[in-house]
Amino acid sequence: MSTDVRGWVPVEHRWLGLDRRQLKPAIFVLVVALLLIYGWPALNAIIPWDNPIKAGDVLDLGDGATAVPPVGWQLEDGALVSDKAGVSATSDNVKLAMGGATIELTGAAFTGTAAQFLDQVILSEDPTANISASPGSFTTTSGLVGVVRSASGSAGDELLAAFKMSSADPAAAPALLVDVNTVPGEYPQYSGEIEAFLRSITAGANE
Amino acid sequence: MTVISAPVKNAQLTAIEESGWGGRFKLVQPHNAAFWVYVLGVGLGAIGLVKYFAPAFGAYRLAVTSGIIFFAIYLIPWLLFLRRQNRYTAQPAGLLATGFVWGAVAATFWIALPANTALLEIWTKLLGPTGANTWAAGLSAPIDEEWGKALGLILLIALAPRLVRSAYDGFIIGAFIGLGFQVSEDVLYAYNNATASFGVDQLESSLFILALRGFVGITSHALFSAVFCAGVMWILGRVPGERRVGLGIAACLAAMFLHFAWDDAGGLFGGVPFLTIFGPYLILMPLAIVVLLVVRRLASSKEREWMRELLGPEVQSGVIDPPLLDAVSGLYQDRRRFRKLVHSRRRARHLIESAHDLAQEIADAGGHDTPRVAHARAEVLRLRGADEPAPMHQLP
Repeated sequence: MSTDVRGWVPVEHRWLGLDRRQLKPAIFVLVVALLLIYGWPALNAIIPWDNPIKAGDVLDLGDGATAVPPVGWQLEDGALVSDKAGVSATSDNVKLAMGGATIELTGAAFTGTAAQFLDQVILSEDPTANISASPGSFTTTSGLVGVVRSASGSAGDELLAAFKMSSADPAAAPALLVDVNTVPGEYPQYSGEIEAFLRSITAGANE
Repeated sequence: MTVISAPVKNAQLTAIEESGWGGRFKLVQPHNAAFWVYVLGVGLGAIGLVKYFAPAFGAYRLAVTSGIIFFAIYLIPWLLFLRRQNRYTAQPAGLLATGFVWGAVAATFWIALPANTALLEIWTKLLGPTGANTWAAGLSAPIDEEWGKALGLILLIALAPRLVRSAYDGFIIGAFIGLGFQVSEDVLYAYNNATASFGVDQLESSLFILALRGFVGITSHALFSAVFCAGVMWILGRVPGERRVGLGIAACLAAMFLHFAWDDAGGLFGGVPFLTIFGPYLILMPLAIVVLLVVRRLASSKEREWMRELLGPEVQSGVIDPPLLDAVSGLYQDRRRFRKLVHSRRRARHLIESAHDLAQEIADAGGHDTPRVAHARAEVLRLRGADEPAPMHQLP
């Protein structure tokens, strides 16, 4: 008697209700998928970061704009001036990390003032965020004026700083967002380095 | 009475058996582990998709909505184009849709997103941020994405072992999986581009992504996956005489290289500003299209052979003449030659389509004469303007 009926699995090929003849490809797909999904993160977890900022390093923020990163922090994204990487001021991304603190810089095209840019950032990222402190002005050593707001919560402390990368024509200049995050209680430990970093930002060729 | 020789009839039956043409596709197969892996992949991919886009429906609603609408419209010509490529022993729409969903949901959000995130960071640690910026995308995506998409083909083989047989089956299914991946990724890019400008000018941002990704999409995931999956089928060799491991590996590597070159064009053409800007369009795009055409030609040889064998008895009985057989089982130049022969593009198209209908009905009927086969045969004759042939009789 034939068992060649659609959907009918002969008893000798059954295993837990499944057709054993189709197990191999299913297991192959599952194993390869899991290797890609969890294998790379596992490998990533055991490879340490080893790209510390050295004395004299200067970050390239595009169009000649620069910043001096704190020594010893890990540069996880972004380019140094010495890399000659041809950074775009409107699509630049930089990430610095140290312990439980990160400094992320994002360049963007934005028409308007630094205060308007910061409002747009807060509106787009998380309008309900607990950004309690009122905006304050911040002037870099080179004379660039930015707007700063801070937030504190159970997840830690955050400081947002927005700049337009030109004092002469700020409305049309590229915008720069600096987003500093620290785990609870660690902000005071890094506040000096963070302030020095913010003060080191220069507008470069946009001046 | 027309007499059909036994070898010709046997060749027809063998072609039907080998190609699996005429078989039905059913996705829901609770006894098949591949079905559950498919459900798991698409289910977790859907959760990943919702998690990824959920924040977007706040401040980035316009970017995501317009991205979905733009790329849904963009999908239409692609589907029409791929439908035309789904010739010879054509795959059922349900099977192709199943592949498309794997590419759009599972390969993208279940596999590629977490895998790429981790691998990009590994390359950043190993090469430094500047080196990674130049090379990491091309050293990550061809591995995670080509493999992630091809896993969908492996599942479809397990779900429809009779239907997915030749390298051309892999080519077509791969194209649909790749297209799903491509459109999903395009919408994701529309969202990401809007976040990069913090939600300013979202509609313009989506239009920019549509123009950019729409154009480069010609030689993107659909092409890479078609080539890669044809290679997988050659390696597996699921029909007699089609196991070509070397060619299969070469096709897979070619797809991965094209993907790498496209992602890392800046690094490959580094130092030459003209090539950095125009190299992808003047060198990589033509190269990708040449690879695609060569693979398509090689992959279709078995299908063309099946089509000739399937229609062999119809040629012997005079229903289909040799030029029409060449056209329906041939390549572009064969169809062009046929168009010239009948002096009408429209008539040539109708004749080829009717011959294909007849082949499809014969395959559906398992080589037997049924009322539908008889009707399809009569349609070919009507379009040819020929008389009804004598009833067929098979020699013992």
